[in-house]
Amino acid sequence: MLLLGLLCAAVGCNKSDDSITAYRAPKEVRPETGAQQPAPEPGAPAGLHWLAPSSWEEQPASGFRKGSFLVRGGDGQTADVSVISFPEAAGGTLANVNRWREQLKLPPVTEEAQAGSSFPVAGHDMLFVELASEQPLEAKADKTRVLGGIYPAQTETWFFKMTGPDELVAAQREPFKEFLQSVHEEGGAPHATASGDSTNAPTPPLIDTLGAVPLQYTLPPGWKEKPLTPMRVASFNASAPNGKEVDISVVYLMGEAGGDLANVNRWRDQVKLPPIDEPGLQQSAERVETNGHNFLVVDLASSEPIGEPAAKQRIVAAILDDKGRSWFIKMTGEDAAVASQKSAFADFLHTLKFH
Amino acid sequence: MAAPAPTSAFARSPFRVLASLRLTVVCLGLGMLLVFLGTLAQVKSGIHAVQATYFQSLFVFWKPAGANWGIPVLPGGYLLGVVLLINLIAAHATRFQFTKKKAGIICLHLGVILLLIGQLLTGLYARETQMRINEGETVGYSEAAREVELAVIDVTNPEYDEVVAIPEKVIARGGVVQHPSLPFTLQIKRFLPNASLFMRSQVPTAPPSEATVGAGANIVATEQPRTIKDDERDLSAAFIEVTGLSGSLGTWLVSNAIADPQSFTLGDRTFELVMRQRRFPKAFAITLLDFRHDQYAGTDIPKNFSSRVRLVDQERGENREALISMNDPLRYRGFTFYQSGFDNNDTTTILQVVRNPAMLLPYIACGLVALGLTLQFSMHLFGFVKKKR
Repeated sequence: MLLLGLLCAAVGCNKSDDSITAYRAPKEVRPETGAQQPAPEPGAPAGLHWLAPSSWEEQPASGFRKGSFLVRGGDGQTADVSVISFPEAAGGTLANVNRWREQLKLPPVTEEAQAGSSFPVAGHDMLFVELASEQPLEAKADKTRVLGGIYPAQTETWFFKMTGPDELVAAQREPFKEFLQSVHEEGGAPHATASGDSTNAPTPPLIDTLGAVPLQYTLPPGWKEKPLTPMRVASFNASAPNGKEVDISVVYLMGEAGGDLANVNRWRDQVKLPPIDEPGLQQSAERVETNGHNFLVVDLASSEPIGEPAAKQRIVAAILDDKGRSWFIKMTGEDAAVASQKSAFADFLHTLKFH
Repeated sequence: MAAPAPTSAFARSPFRVLASLRLTVVCLGLGMLLVFLGTLAQVKSGIHAVQATYFQSLFVFWKPAGANWGIPVLPGGYLLGVVLLINLIAAHATRFQFTKKKAGIICLHLGVILLLIGQLLTGLYARETQMRINEGETVGYSEAAREVELAVIDVTNPEYDEVVAIPEKVIARGGVVQHPSLPFTLQIKRFLPNASLFMRSQVPTAPPSEATVGAGANIVATEQPRTIKDDERDLSAAFIEVTGLSGSLGTWLVSNAIADPQSFTLGDRTFELVMRQRRFPKAFAITLLDFRHDQYAGTDIPKNFSSRVRLVDQERGENREALISMNDPLRYRGFTFYQSGFDNNDTTTILQVVRNPAMLLPYIACGLVALGLTLQFSMHLFGFVKKKR
């Protein structure tokens, strides 16, 4: 029986193998292809660089795009330039050119020679493609033209593409070609090395899943529970006397979650108030002691109407650091509606208990 | 005073069952059946699944198709091993007497007990991983061959990366995951243990992707049955929604087939999401200096595979070269590095990294069994010779 007990204990202990771990690791060169593929030679290109014409407006690159530009023409017309990359051949040049052709409702081509013309750029062949739709793609619109560049680097294929109204894009042909010519590979990113002072020894595992929510509260009169969204551990709404609704959320994050000041400034930004500094926060915020918790409470009202329909907005929020968790209790809505619920919010804070 | 007798008899009877030879025979019989059925099951489920369900388990369950519950139909390897262990110990406690004459038998059985315990500990605590190193490359971690992890990497600091690694079992449970060093939560919307990925342009009829950002929006992921082949690896995928305090940042498709890092920025920090083979960081790093694949002169027959490596351990001030060859592994800090394979035209070595805290037990157990047999045999021999005289 003792042995059986030991067996169960051993099996139980072994479960720690499944916990989340956090550690510091040296920077590494990541192979750009699948897990089974060989890693690139040390010093292989880590990415591409390019030089865009100064008249193009750089846009923030989204997760998918490695580069993004807006090209403005006369009479408010705009064209979009995107740079993306895919591992390996990404389905083949022909398939990609035909995908573009399909977008312009053009028949597919069957030979690579028909796809476009090539010129050498930094040791590889850049395939230049120019396509124009035969008909406008939308009613009351111009025909669409696409300028494209397909560039196979060592482990990735890069796609440069300008899409926009026929005339504007046609006028950008030479700047776009110059843009393609400017493409060059960047030399090695930092390699994983044994030297340096960073160790990659694991730190003790810490895990927190939102299984049981360690929270107790009593709802003030007029507040109603709302369905939870991924971040919220409690969610309510309340109707103000003027019929407007306010939204109340309780959210927590592990650790400091950026700190009080950063979070208050994020909220200030939401109601179009200028950011403040630490002394400013201490001055404007209120401390509320209840059930042994010390909440930092802020009341932020927009100085002018914002949003659609335009109305003055207000955020009343409380932050609590409790046992390694940061709790955020936040009430948002129109200024007058939030004001009407402020005392209920204070009552609610008094009923909150964390375990 | 007659009252206690039935109680002690009652207490003794289960003990007698535990110590009985019949139980030994039943266990050994069931063990043979388990090995037989497990071998047959390998055809359908593959060796790794069978090892887990037949041998590294308390019971073997029969599951009706599509159900998530099962009925235990056979004792598993762990249960049989433990019952045999108890049986052997109980037999010694009740039947065997500790006399000089029985020293050989006791020693032999002690060896068998150690062997059983060693096997149990190996099953529970041993870990086999791999290290794949290109010539000139330095690697400070080993990877699980058949398990993935979701790594959330804070790449903000130019000097190093802060990694939060979420193992496959946590991903498979689904739900919301958060960690003190991450200013957001991760909701695992769907986990595909094995999937095939296609570019959306190749499957125009596919339903819209659950992924809203990153490369996944352009990729179609279809679930596949897990591979049972020893030389194949699952390509796992998962849809992960990242939610910060200001709301959802989008849903990403991560997969160990997408090695391209998918990054996003929150506040002044940049994070990368990568699904990759589960990594086990080491407190030391190994650089592959040279891999050799020697052949017998004039033939293609391999003679020797070896890796010349440099081992650097800053914590212990270790910095030395070592040669790992087929029957000559490197042992360091409880890990054994065996030469296991090679790739890329002999420029990449694959080392099997084994950590087994119970590694010595089988050796001691075999020693004890050998000693026991020798003792027993010698005693009989001497007795026989004496009698003859």
